[in-house]
Amino acid sequence: MLCWEYPPRIIGGLARHVEGLSEALASLGHEVHVITLDFPGAPYEEHEGSLYVHRVPVSVPAPSFHSWVLLFNHFFEKRAGQLAHEFGPPDILHIHDWLTVPAGVAAKHLLRCPVVMTFHSTEASRSSNSPSTESAMVEGLEWWGSFEAARVIAVSGWMKSEVVSIFKIPPEKAVDIPNAVDPLKFEGAADNQATRRRWGVEDGDRLITAVGRLTAQKGFDDLIRAYPLIKKSVPASRLLLVGDGYMRTELERLAEQLHVRDSTTFAGFVSDAELVAALRSSDVVVVPSRFEPFGIIALEAMAAGAPLVVSRVGGLAEIVEDSVDGIKVEPNNPSAIAVATVSVLSDREFAARLATRGEEKAKSYSWENVAKKTLSVYQEAARGTRYE
Amino acid sequence: MSEGPKVLLSTLMVLGAQSPERALAIDELASKLGMRVPDLQAELDRVTKAGYAVMTRQGGRVKVYLTATGVITASSAYS
Repeated sequence: MLCWEYPPRIIGGLARHVEGLSEALASLGHEVHVITLDFPGAPYEEHEGSLYVHRVPVSVPAPSFHSWVLLFNHFFEKRAGQLAHEFGPPDILHIHDWLTVPAGVAAKHLLRCPVVMTFHSTEASRSSNSPSTESAMVEGLEWWGSFEAARVIAVSGWMKSEVVSIFKIPPEKAVDIPNAVDPLKFEGAADNQATRRRWGVEDGDRLITAVGRLTAQKGFDDLIRAYPLIKKSVPASRLLLVGDGYMRTELERLAEQLHVRDSTTFAGFVSDAELVAALRSSDVVVVPSRFEPFGIIALEAMAAGAPLVVSRVGGLAEIVEDSVDGIKVEPNNPSAIAVATVSVLSDREFAARLATRGEEKAKSYSWENVAKKTLSVYQEAARGTRYE
Repeated sequence: MSEGPKVLLSTLMVLGAQSPERALAIDELASKLGMRVPDLQAELDRVTKAGYAVMTRQGGRVKVYLTATGVITASSAYS
């Protein structure tokens, strides 16, 4: 398994996916080696049961992000070669997104084993408003990966359609396997009062939470624009934004302009335990994304028993059944976010119904199922690959 | 984070400055970024205050490296 992020290096859903899948494959008795980037405070080598994590330092400086990606791929390739000598060649190489395509393709031909590629997102979706020469390189690598891979996995039906359409791969080469969640990680008696106080929530306040990178894609600016409208109906409330990113200053300024800065908490990155506590103590979790290939936070909120409001985009639209286990709203629409959020906050029975159905749904998205489906993709890939 | 810190954090990450052992001297970093040291110092004060980087004195030189939060924030611009 080659990936640029793996806990505790968590940039997005990719890290959670590789962690959940690797652990489930290992618990099914398979030997799994994850090659990933090093991270401050994390060990270079970890080993539990048949799951091995190899964190690779990039000891050569690069002049830019994109050349750094190519550079760390060389280090991944070297580690893959070392592991093949130590443990024998792998039966399957599994790469995730464009970031590990060069190492995956090189290792495929050097070690003569099939490659499976999972698309968690595409550059076309990420950079729709700002095409650049860097984007052209990323799209090229995405195409190369989809071409060299024996099978392609997408994290939602929407993502699969995108990949098939953009890279012109035969539809039968691609399969959608949604992400999953471990409900056990979201169980437990969180001390809601202590958690809420830590985020500045006063007694009687309703807590509205959003989690993710503070980037334009996540639509947190729309949620902040919606917040004054929400406060008109629910004055005793607090908005909690968990996560960090390059839009933080801009979002803080927006909250100030709209006179909601005092009742908005920017929590930054938090630990897994704090994230669970935040979700479990929320009165509503809002996912206002402009695009979302899957949206694992929606499943995590469901597993934590929080009522959910999501944008009707990508994988989110597939996960949530409108008004049954969450509410779907049009993206880029602060008024719609406000109306849906108020409808949850003002009707406790409705909110409890959404939360209960959400929790039930989250249980059906298990990593064991993902691992079993992925294993059958591996078997197809192993049967179908030709090297001549 | 505005464009300035975004470039700064990204540069620290791709140059490998994510531990005290691989911290970069501020004058060296300023020269790589084509910035004046006082301007860079002001930018570094902001990202240090935000918890993205740590400044340290080693061998008589002020050096800087990214924290775990800084690495994730720098990466989040590209994910």
